[in-house]
Amino acid sequence: MKLLVIIPAYNEQDCIVQTVEELRQTAPQYDYVVVNDGSKDATKSLCIEHGFNLLDLPVNIGLTGGFQAGMKYALRNGYDAAVQFDADGQHMPAYIEKLAEEMQRTNADIVIGSRFVTEKKSASMRMVGSRLISAIIKITTGTSICDPTSGMRLYNRAMIERFSSKSDFGPEPDSIAYLARKGAVVREVQVSMRERQAGESYLTFTRSIEYMMRTCISILFVQWFRS
Amino acid sequence: MNITLRVFLVVSAVAVLYFVVRKIKKSKFEASDSIFWLFFIAVLVVLGAFPQVSYGLANILGFESPSNFIFLCVIAILLIRVFSLTAKVSLLRTKLDSLVQEVALDRNERAKNNGDAS
Repeated sequence: MKLLVIIPAYNEQDCIVQTVEELRQTAPQYDYVVVNDGSKDATKSLCIEHGFNLLDLPVNIGLTGGFQAGMKYALRNGYDAAVQFDADGQHMPAYIEKLAEEMQRTNADIVIGSRFVTEKKSASMRMVGSRLISAIIKITTGTSICDPTSGMRLYNRAMIERFSSKSDFGPEPDSIAYLARKGAVVREVQVSMRERQAGESYLTFTRSIEYMMRTCISILFVQWFRS
Repeated sequence: MNITLRVFLVVSAVAVLYFVVRKIKKSKFEASDSIFWLFFIAVLVVLGAFPQVSYGLANILGFESPSNFIFLCVIAILLIRVFSLTAKVSLLRTKLDSLVQEVALDRNERAKNNGDAS
């Protein structure tokens, strides 16, 4: 299986080198591409300096568009599968192989690197949000997804095509819910994740609320009318 | 409907017309945009010049006064405009996204070709 690791990066100068170097050492059998989403810091120059395979977006268009650029790259270069991988060091490259094995074994369309297949969710606010999204997905699609907000997901060729051709179709829980409802097989594999290694989390309090609202409304309303 | 409101409507229409013509001269307006604004100007002029229209419509629709009807008219026109602009922005965003992605994919390919050549 020809697999591509897509690493979207926006202002990740403090972790990008470490993340990619670790990936190259731990999982050298996989190709990768760093998507620099118009970063304002040294992300781009660091990638060029280290000779990383880079998709350099001239302006910032957000995670959805940045990830889609990675998917288009995967499509045009004939990859069978693509995994989204955080640049901030939260994800461990060692688990990519587990996801790939699960995909080959079960013929799944999407394999999520989940924190909560065998582990329990804590009772933090963040997990309340995670539970809510899980419940909504269960109700609307009938699919159980323990960790819908996990950012580590492996997609097969059919999903790569979908992500490449649709607009406003981000690597987010609402897209997963949509695909599940359209018949995509979603599986989960237990992984562990680290705290982010450097930089600041994108999710401030107001952003979390906004994220929850957008995700819920998207799953409950918008996705029903998408073609 | 008092004369002040009527004069105000007509004066507004003239002011809007002035700005529209100015934009067209500087070619900062598309033809389709100017259609909307000319329509808007026409509505203002009709409402200001012929108060019978607003009296009649306000009566049929059950408004207390024709001026209320005029306000609602303007708000409705603006809402339709905002709606179509939202759709337009979203279309532009899609186009921008794919342009930016193409630039990035192109850069990547060229960097690789240069790498192979050297």
